[in-house]
Amino acid sequence: MTEAVQNVSQPQIQVENLNLWYGEKQALKNVSMQIPKNSVTALIGPSGCGKSTFIRCLNRMNDLIKDCRIEGRVLTEGKDIYGPDIDVVDLRKKVGMVFQKPNPFPMSIYDNVAYGPRIHGAHRKDLNGIVEEALHSAAIWNEISDRLKSPALSLSGGQQQRLCIARTLAVKPKIILFDEPTSALDPISTSRIEDLIINLKKDYTIVIVTHNMQQAARISDYTGFFLMGELIEFGQTRQIFQNPREKSTEDYITGRFG
Amino acid sequence: MFNAKISEKIAFVLLGLSALAVVGFVIIILGYIIFNGYSAINIAFLTEMPRLMMTEGGIYPAIVGTIYLIIGSMIIALPMGIMAAIYLNEYAGESRTTWIIEMAINNLAGTPSVVFGLFGLALFVKYFGFGSSLLSSSLTLALLILPVIIRSTEEALITVPKEYRESSLALGVSKWQTIRHVVLPAAIPGIITGSVLSIGRVAGETAPILFTGVAYFLPRLPDSIYSQFMALPYHLFVLATAGTNIEKTRPIQYGTALVLLLIVLGLNLVAVLIRRHYRNKLKI
Repeated sequence: MTEAVQNVSQPQIQVENLNLWYGEKQALKNVSMQIPKNSVTALIGPSGCGKSTFIRCLNRMNDLIKDCRIEGRVLTEGKDIYGPDIDVVDLRKKVGMVFQKPNPFPMSIYDNVAYGPRIHGAHRKDLNGIVEEALHSAAIWNEISDRLKSPALSLSGGQQQRLCIARTLAVKPKIILFDEPTSALDPISTSRIEDLIINLKKDYTIVIVTHNMQQAARISDYTGFFLMGELIEFGQTRQIFQNPREKSTEDYITGRFG
Repeated sequence: MFNAKISEKIAFVLLGLSALAVVGFVIIILGYIIFNGYSAINIAFLTEMPRLMMTEGGIYPAIVGTIYLIIGSMIIALPMGIMAAIYLNEYAGESRTTWIIEMAINNLAGTPSVVFGLFGLALFVKYFGFGSSLLSSSLTLALLILPVIIRSTEEALITVPKEYRESSLALGVSKWQTIRHVVLPAAIPGIITGSVLSIGRVAGETAPILFTGVAYFLPRLPDSIYSQFMALPYHLFVLATAGTNIEKTRPIQYGTALVLLLIVLGLNLVAVLIRRHYRNKLKI
C-alpha cells in the first residue's frame, strides 16, 4: 500500500483479504484495498484478471452466481457487507452499478429513471423532481427533456448509457460502480461519460473497471492493477502510471502485454 | 459441381412440394368445411336450442358450453401454470427435485387426453364428488393444458435478457419485485402465445369432457358449475355418429364444425393482436 492511501482518514470502502472461488477455481486471491471517499478509483488489468469479479463483490452481484464462494471482509461505513445482519437489497440501494452494455428497461425514458424510486416508495408528487434531477446529473436532460415518454430503446447507445447512469442516480446511492461503462460506445459518447464521471465524484464515491488505460489515467485519482486474481499494485493514479513499483504493472501500462 | 447443382434442385423441389402439400391440405379442409357449413349458419342457428331430437334448431347451448369450458379451465390453469413456471425458472435452481418436476411436466404433456378423462372421472367426479359437471370438466381440461402453459411460460421467461434482471437487482430492487415489474411484462407476449395454444385444445378436446360432464343433449343452459353442459366437439360427434337422423343433420354438423373452427381462429386472432400490442409497447 502506498502512504497516500493510508493517509486517507476514513475510506468509503475497505476490502480485507478477499478471496473468491468459482467452484474449484480461485478468481480472487487475498485482495485488500482502501477506496477513498469522493474519488474515482480505476481498476485495470488484462482480461480475466479478476477486476470485474472484484467490482461485483462490492454490491454482492456475485451472489447471483452459482457455486461462487467468498471469504474476507468488505466494509463500508464500518460494516461488513457480507455480515449476517446485512440486507442485500438495502446494500444495493447504497451501492449502485452501471454495466458494460447499456441496458435500459423496455419502458419509457421517464419510467426507466422512476423505476427505482417508485419501487422504493417515493411519493407520486416527488417523482417528477427526482427524475428531472437524476437526468440533469447524468447530463442528458437537455437532449431528452421534450420526449420523456418515448421508449428508452429509441435513444442512441451513448444516451442509453447516460440514462442508465440517471436510473442509478435516482436511487440516491453513495457509491457507484462502473463495469467497463464505455467499452460498447463510440469515442464521443465515451468522452461525455468520462466528463460525467469526473463531475459525479463530488457527490459519490466511484469505482470503475476499464480496459482502457488512457481512460484510467484521464479520470481516476487512484488505480489498482490486477493480474491473475491478485491486486498487484494500488496507489495514486499519477504514481502508478509514472512510477510503478512493480515490473508487471509497468509492462502492462506500457503495452508490453494485455 | 454438377452433382451439387442437381441435388440442390431436387432438394428445392421436394421441400417446396412438401410445403405446398401442407398448405394445400389446410386449404382443402378449411374450404370443405366452410363450403358445406356456411349455409347452415344464421342468427337462429347460433342463438336457438336444438329442436326435434337435434335434427333442427340451433347449437346455442353447445357454443355456451364450450365458452364456459374455456373460461373455467383458463381461470384454473393460467394462474397455476404461470406461478409454477415462475417458481421453476426463477427460484427452484437446479436440483434433483426440480429435475423430477420437469420430467413429470414433460410426461404430463405427452399423456393421451383419454387418460386425463379417466383420471378426471376418478378424482373430480367420484372422489371429490363434483359429479358429472362443468366444474369436473374444467378441472380435467385445466390439468391437460397445464404443461403447455408451464412450458411456454418458462420459455418466455428464459428469453428475458439477463441484463434486465441484473440491472433491476443492482438498483436495490428485490427479486420478486424484479420479476413482477421487469421480467413478467417482458415475457407476456410469449405467455399469451402459450395460453392461446391451450385455448384451442380446450375448445377442441372431446375425451376429457366425455368422462366428466358433457351431455348428449340438454334443453337448457348450465345454471351452475355443478351442471352438465353441451359442447361443440361432442355435439358434432353425436350428430355425426349417434344422431337420430344422420343424413338430415348433415348441414348442422358442418355448421357446428365451422362455428368451432371460427371460435378457435377468432381467439388466435385476438391473441395475435394482444401480442403485437405488447411487443410494440416493449420495443421502439
